[in-house]
Amino acid sequence: MPTDAAIELRGVRKTFGAQVAVEGLDLTIPRGALYGFIGPNGAGKTTSIRMIMSILMPDSGDLRVLGNRSALEAKDRIGYLPEERGTYRKMKVGAYLSYIARLKGVAEKGLAARIAELLARVGLPGVEGKKSEELSKGMLQKVQFVAAIVHSPDLLILDEPFSGLDPVSSRLLRELILAEHARGATILFSTHVMPHAEDLCDHVVMIHRGRKVLDEPLAGIRRRYVPRAIRFEPLASDADVARVRALAEVESCQPVEGGYEVLLRDGSDAGRAVHSIAGALPVARIELKRHRLEDVFVQLVAEGGSLTDTESLHAELGGGADAGSVAA
Amino acid sequence: MIKIWQIAVREFVATVFTRAFIIGLLVFPMMLGVFFLVAPRLFADRAYNIEGDLAIVDPTGKIAGDLETAIASNANGAAVGDALRRAGAPAQAAELAQALATPPKLTVVERPPGGDLEQEKAWLRVTDAKPPHLALAVIHPNAVTPRAGETELGSYDLYVPPKQDQRVESAVKESLRDALVAARMREHGLDRAVIKDLTTVPPVRSVTVTQDAERGTVGGAGIIVPIAFMLLLFMGVMGSGGGLLTTTVEEKSSRVIEVLLSAVSPMQLMAGKLLGHMAISLLMMSIYLALGLAGLSTFALFGLFDISLIGYLFVFYLIGFLTIGSLMMAAGAAVNDMREAQSLMMPLTLSLSAIWFVFVPITRDPNSTLAVVLTYVPPLGPFVTLLRLASTSPPPTWQVLLSIAVGFVEIVGAVWFSAKVFKIGLLMFGKPPNLGTLIRWVRAS
Repeated sequence: MPTDAAIELRGVRKTFGAQVAVEGLDLTIPRGALYGFIGPNGAGKTTSIRMIMSILMPDSGDLRVLGNRSALEAKDRIGYLPEERGTYRKMKVGAYLSYIARLKGVAEKGLAARIAELLARVGLPGVEGKKSEELSKGMLQKVQFVAAIVHSPDLLILDEPFSGLDPVSSRLLRELILAEHARGATILFSTHVMPHAEDLCDHVVMIHRGRKVLDEPLAGIRRRYVPRAIRFEPLASDADVARVRALAEVESCQPVEGGYEVLLRDGSDAGRAVHSIAGALPVARIELKRHRLEDVFVQLVAEGGSLTDTESLHAELGGGADAGSVAA
Repeated sequence: MIKIWQIAVREFVATVFTRAFIIGLLVFPMMLGVFFLVAPRLFADRAYNIEGDLAIVDPTGKIAGDLETAIASNANGAAVGDALRRAGAPAQAAELAQALATPPKLTVVERPPGGDLEQEKAWLRVTDAKPPHLALAVIHPNAVTPRAGETELGSYDLYVPPKQDQRVESAVKESLRDALVAARMREHGLDRAVIKDLTTVPPVRSVTVTQDAERGTVGGAGIIVPIAFMLLLFMGVMGSGGGLLTTTVEEKSSRVIEVLLSAVSPMQLMAGKLLGHMAISLLMMSIYLALGLAGLSTFALFGLFDISLIGYLFVFYLIGFLTIGSLMMAAGAAVNDMREAQSLMMPLTLSLSAIWFVFVPITRDPNSTLAVVLTYVPPLGPFVTLLRLASTSPPPTWQVLLSIAVGFVEIVGAVWFSAKVFKIGLLMFGKPPNLGTLIRWVRAS
């Protein structure tokens, strides 16, 4: 399986006793790409990542990381932020980062300055002398991210990097991930919160119950899942919505919170429909309602016949309060 | 190899440069100091005032008079003698002690012979008597001269009240014994003072003749040296084994383990931790050994042990440490917290503690069947072999070599098993595993 890809998996399978965690996973991540690995909790994301990292060994299948048959041969070139992350409580931050960096093959010379610079970049200047137990959870997560990038890795794997972060820290982390990507690092990050992936990735891999259900560029997904719905808010509260329902492109028009949602007939042009609706009655706001990744995911899973509880899956993938949405 | 070294250095630094380690290092010598200096003072018999009535029923009519003399001469000289010896008193301490000691204030109450014994016993049941009723002795009629046609002499029956101090009974018995012996000697026309002189041999102090010099023989050397070496080995093995268990559980429970595994393989992590903790315990053992040797040198007792014992100590330390340490680390990787670790390690800890039950018989007879068999039984083998090597009758060389060979097989087995458990257990959370689960992991990996 000679390849120039950063990560390549072919038919990878992993079981824990009778439970199949990952089944027949094929995956190719080109060098320099920014991939989102998404799926609900328990989908098999962390197991897949641990196999990529050679922390777990697959039962069967082939795997290559940065051109090597095992990540063990390239650990110094990989940065990893595990989902279950911690530090030595009594160890000072500087000593901890220095220890991890040295384990990753970073030379002692200039290491202290690099650590200081990275800590300043994550908004923690001068915490080198503090013990981990003195830091808040959010601060520790930043320290752990620094540990993942302190050796300027070629491949950065982040397992649920946004979990537990406040919105400001999330935004900072997003910028840092993009900076690593801009530096040339290949990035794979997993999340069960789809808006994070929509916001950050250029390619998405969806996994459900250990099986891959989607592997496509985000732009392609948006093209494939063309919007068929339009949301609008009439300027007048007593506007005659029947005029919209009478339009040829419109299949239905239902009141929703803050206005109406129009479902277009198959083959209708969404752009023309927007113009038609705006011509039928004055509107305060009108927009195409795009498919969100979670809608795509739920649709794919439903098509596969393995969906039992749509609402709870939506709730999980939407990420609750920290979820965002992509406006047209 | 560099990564193994880096892990080892971190383990060493994180442990050694802490207050806890330094305090722990000082605790053992302090405990020894307490044992050797303070304990004799704490446990020494203090002068005990014995005061009360001793009733005697003497059908021979020859004991009571001697009993009062015996009580007066049986002063509790032992405690005073100890005090004098500690104060550096000369060899005549015993006589001095006898002179200084207070005799028991026992008042002999003679009861008529032939009375009702139950009535005499009722005298003992009077609990609020002043002075207290301490004992009732009923002398056998043949206690001084045998019955006609017999050669065997009688003795006496002793009755005491409940909850009486053992020292009271000892003093009573001692006095009665002296009185009986005095009466019998007089009956046979023997001079007790002459017999005492004839049967007394002053204590002799032996001199050990070595290759280079002569020195006074240290009586406890045959016990002290083996125990000291075994203690050193036990501390080295269990101290570092415990450290490996604790740090592995800490790394796993704090979830730092996965970060480490992204940088090193499980085998590198295990090797680094073993190396680091080996260095820690070697440092600790070296300090204690150096202190011990300095102590021996100070008291000119350096010749008490064979210098090759240090080499054997290192060899058996390696066997013990690599076996116990790797198993401890595997246990640390398999569990979620220290409580689970302790229960998983209970069989090993208990089997190791068996050494404290067998070291006395092995030290007394280093070539007994028990000693020879345990030489090859893991995990006690290294401890027993070192104990025997340090004794006055070391085992034959072939037994030592066989023990080392068994030890190396033990290491290979323990490290092989532990490596497999370590690799799988590190990322396993939830229900703590039992031995069956561990064996399944080993088969699966």
